[in-house]
Amino acid sequence: MVTASDPFEALGVEPTFAVDIALLEQRHRDLSRALHPDRHAGAGSAERRRALGRAIEVNEAFRQLKDPVRRAEALLARRGVESGEGKEPPASPALLMEVMERREALAEIRVSKDQVALGRLIADVEREERRVRAELESRFADPRTDSAEILKKIGELRYFRRFLDEAQAIADDLF
Amino acid sequence: MLLDIFDPKAPAQAIGIDLGTTNSIVAHVRDGRPVPLVTCDGTPLLPSVVHYGAEGSVAVGRSAQSYATREPERTIASVKRFMGRGAGDAETTRLGAYKFVPGEGSVVRFDLGKFTPSAVEVSAEILKSLKQSAVDQLHHVGGAVITVPAYFDDAQRQATRDAGRLAGLEVLRLLNEPTAAALAYGLEKRQNGLFAVYDLGGGTFDITILLLEDGVFQVKSTGGDSALGGDDMDREIAERMLTAMGATDAGTRTPEVVSIALQAARRAKHALTDSVEASVELPKKGGGEVRFVVTRSDFDAWILPLLERTGRACKRALRDAGIGASALDGVILVGGSTRVPRVRGYVEELFGKAPLADIDPDLVVAYGAAVQADLLARSSDEVLLLDVLPLSLGIETMGGGVDKILPRNTTIPAGAKATFTTYADNQTGFDLHVVQGERELAQDCRSLARFNLAGIPPLPAGFARLEVSFHVDENNLLKVEARELSTGKRQSVEVKPSYGLTDEEVEQMLIDALDHGEADFELRRLRDAQVEATRILLATDKAFDTDADLLEAGERARIEQALTDLRTAASSATQASRIENAISALDDATHDWAGRRMNRAIQSAIAGKNVGAVAERVAHAAGVEAHLEKHGAR
Repeated sequence: MVTASDPFEALGVEPTFAVDIALLEQRHRDLSRALHPDRHAGAGSAERRRALGRAIEVNEAFRQLKDPVRRAEALLARRGVESGEGKEPPASPALLMEVMERREALAEIRVSKDQVALGRLIADVEREERRVRAELESRFADPRTDSAEILKKIGELRYFRRFLDEAQAIADDLF
Repeated sequence: MLLDIFDPKAPAQAIGIDLGTTNSIVAHVRDGRPVPLVTCDGTPLLPSVVHYGAEGSVAVGRSAQSYATREPERTIASVKRFMGRGAGDAETTRLGAYKFVPGEGSVVRFDLGKFTPSAVEVSAEILKSLKQSAVDQLHHVGGAVITVPAYFDDAQRQATRDAGRLAGLEVLRLLNEPTAAALAYGLEKRQNGLFAVYDLGGGTFDITILLLEDGVFQVKSTGGDSALGGDDMDREIAERMLTAMGATDAGTRTPEVVSIALQAARRAKHALTDSVEASVELPKKGGGEVRFVVTRSDFDAWILPLLERTGRACKRALRDAGIGASALDGVILVGGSTRVPRVRGYVEELFGKAPLADIDPDLVVAYGAAVQADLLARSSDEVLLLDVLPLSLGIETMGGGVDKILPRNTTIPAGAKATFTTYADNQTGFDLHVVQGERELAQDCRSLARFNLAGIPPLPAGFARLEVSFHVDENNLLKVEARELSTGKRQSVEVKPSYGLTDEEVEQMLIDALDHGEADFELRRLRDAQVEATRILLATDKAFDTDADLLEAGERARIEQALTDLRTAASSATQASRIENAISALDDATHDWAGRRMNRAIQSAIAGKNVGAVAERVAHAAGVEAHLEKHGAR
């Protein structure tokens, strides 16, 4: 089954938030080539099981590191800090307000099916998402930043990404 | 006629099977190239039609098709649409000629009076026929790769695998059809790049975005509709034909009449591929005939809503892959329905480039399956396929929502865990409902399994913690495991018996199907065990060659002993169980060594690239001039 190992180690990449996606993809391919069950199809069941377990681990690590929220959480886990939605400090009232307004706009678009407005909304939130990611990157780069502040940023990033997922789902239905 | 001489000791040949909605094909690799095998109909295409005679005779292919108008309800076509479906599914209640055994819920059964075959059994008849053709021509048939639409859910995949086993095939792998098509194309051309595979078959539509790089075919995203295809085009025409025939209500739309209309519709559709107008004579209600004329532009307009459904799925797949249509290097067409001119035109408009169709779209999937079967049988390391989960997997939450545990397009094999908690004080049982699909409500998703984890210690609400692990193997088959964390109570569920057949049921059906029942079955098990033993002996020898240095003191002696035992068992045993026991003893002996070997494989996979990266940096440091000089680019 899946082991709770460190995804950076599973893929053999440096533990940093500013991870090189191309290198990640390369590693994933190379490791898949060594571990994929198809490569062990003729082997005994002990080896097949081992390979399957490791292949799952590598795939899961890759999925984790591609996602900035989960990548940030993996970095905190290395510091011994537990993360997850329940562990994050509450978002600032200003952010909550902003999110609520955007949610309302999204609800309106669901009815009006306004493609242009949806595109604009998505572009806005994407910009915010990029900004929070950049902030996370600089905070991780500075060893003095405490974990609570990082947790807060992770919470913000999660808001924006979830919003984008929902907006994208609406876009799927509309067009 | 040439005398067919063959060596009884010749190695078994792996085969690839495209188990299609309309036609099925079996192919194998000869001299490095995929070639189709001739089926019992004398052609590569075997119509996926099975006729059950009242007295129990079974006919497959064209001979079955000939019964279609006389005994439509006993002549089962497009059985693939019913794979993994229950009696209450929308699919079983559409325009069609079949009667189903009512009520039975999880597995749909055709009501043929004395017989009530399930979709799995009907499919197994098609596979048996293909297997027989392969045996006739290749003499010694090994494992088989069977293709499935990428969009098939777990239930449909399990049903396909069961059909394979029921037909007596060793199913090496279930392979996604679009991936198979890309394999057929990619291998022949050795291209790198980004491709879309647009697969419109008889009953299913798939769109897959594939990245081909350094011998790795990686599925970036996949989407589609498991109930959309050429049959729907036939229905569009047939509906209008029925109206013209005066068959407007359920009373006049008898299975015979519907079958006549569907067949005429199919002929008209085929005719419209090459001409701009088709005309057919149809029997009219109350006697006489009516001439029905359909132009290509009529037909194009009728099928537009169907094409637009494919278009939406394509756009979503592009988004999931994170690319625009312009990033694609090519679009591959698969499936007989892509012969329809309007389909080609639509695809070209959608992707902004003319699609590739150099390989016969009816055969390309079987070719890819044969290539993959050959690669697996040879344990080749030339090409690797990295496939994805087609539909999200999740657990129903308290309010009827879905907690997605593995999202669609996750690379497989995949695993993930989620933790749940009790919602009532002293709750000692926990119901889990596993669903698959993208919809927000569990009731709109495909229900895969329900099970109950009992024996949770009585605790206040929210205290007991329940860990659910999902595990999807390389065939896209799911296993779910649940564990109560405070007691460690573990329950493992192969998500299967709720709609499929259990291993015991498959075994019993196999025994029943053989002439001499138990004895034949035992003999086959013995032969299978011998083949497996040979394979493992070879693999272990190979491992000694490369990784003997990883053996610890005394370990080699233990493994050698297990090898000797297995060799003896394989050559002298009359009971399969003796060989199987020797195999599992060898597995135990090699268990730790296998772990160390896996670590080495990982290290060298990572290290190989490090060396490359370092070399590149050195080249960079030495200056561009020196680099170019060294590489002779001057």
